Amino acid sequence: MSKISPVIGRYVTIEVDGLEYKVFYLENGTGQPLVCQHTAGAHNHQWRGLLEDEEITANYRVIAYDLPRHGKSDPPENTEWWKEEYQLTADHFVNFIVALCDALELEDPLFMGSSFGGNVALQLALRHPDRFAGVLSVEGADYSPGFYLDWWQHPHANAAQVCASGTWDLMAPQSPEADRWKTWFYYSQGSEAFKGDLHFYSVDHDLRGRLHEIDGDKCPVVMMTGEYDYLTTPEDSARTASEIKNGSFINMPEIGHFPMSENHDRFRIHLLEALDALRSVKANA
Amino acid sequence: MTTAPTATRAPAEWAEAFTEANNTDPEIQAHGKYFTTTWLLDAGEHSYAIKLESGEVTAVTVDPGPLDVPYQFAIRASSDTWREFGQPVPKPMFHGIWAASFQRDMRLEGDVLVLMQNLRCITRQIELLRIIGSPV
Repeated sequence: MSKISPVIGRYVTIEVDGLEYKVFYLENGTGQPLVCQHTAGAHNHQWRGLLEDEEITANYRVIAYDLPRHGKSDPPENTEWWKEEYQLTADHFVNFIVALCDALELEDPLFMGSSFGGNVALQLALRHPDRFAGVLSVEGADYSPGFYLDWWQHPHANAAQVCASGTWDLMAPQSPEADRWKTWFYYSQGSEAFKGDLHFYSVDHDLRGRLHEIDGDKCPVVMMTGEYDYLTTPEDSARTASEIKNGSFINMPEIGHFPMSENHDRFRIHLLEALDALRSVKANA
Repeated sequence: MTTAPTATRAPAEWAEAFTEANNTDPEIQAHGKYFTTTWLLDAGEHSYAIKLESGEVTAVTVDPGPLDVPYQFAIRASSDTWREFGQPVPKPMFHGIWAASFQRDMRLEGDVLVLMQNLRCITRQIELLRIIGSPV
């Protein structure tokens, strides 16, 4: 029996706000595109379980990309990026995702992101309800202050270990140890981007008072959060969902801030429920 | 192997169990070559100054007096919070020092840089409480 995975990886070159990026993405499956954003300071291997999930890939084309400066997506090709501090903004993050979906010629894609990806999912629903058929905001909220910390890049500490062990507590003790350690390992690889990502997560992303502007008919929003997430708690996500038209919230017991990476088998149960919820909102709209 | 702690140990006995658990823990022993510091676990009812040399606990001072033992940083929380840390599977927000600092009454004080420099091993040390039980 072949041990070759059906998941394939490709690069696509896109331009966003004058910056040229060569973007790496993994994909598998056929059907409606399901575009997946990893968490801050990580990369697309967080979606390794989903990418090989036979039930989901039978109905969805799962695309998990590396955001530039993460995994196999390099920093911009056409700037001297090493002369500037990296600080991700909501504008650039949103423009990047739309440009990527355009470059891949995706029709009616669903977007799913976790943590800062869950926050940008809300930004996409607000700004581009016509471009996305719906969004799944995992571990997201209208506002998530407190994590834009100098410790992630302090030159007197081992930044790789600070990022990896500093996010360890975001996972649930019930999640399989090997999957938690894989997630730790990804975090040890991303310390140069983590703090800049968190500029978006904790500073630039702030939709307080604006959630009612999201067109939940055109672009339904489903939020899902794990009970061990101390950063964006289930209460934060539930409150956020309640202020969005047609917004719904799924509480995920015994899971943390990196559901797809720390415990895909558990996460997929809630994900199937969330995909059903998106379909029914769309059908009734 | 994870076993449920039965009852709270006496402080001296807890210190002994903690020392044994740390010094035989494969992860700390594999990665603790530079884990050399003294830190204070403050649990209200009792406190423990824990001295480490290259990943080995070499002394635990129970309830040190005000000027007895110099330490570089302290992890402080109420007795109730530490009791939750001592459960085999802690409840949400009692499952780590970041979680309890962001959402409960835990405080990270002193030279936090030293804590960050040793974060990998400290994180594992705190999880040893799930095996040996609460310090109070």
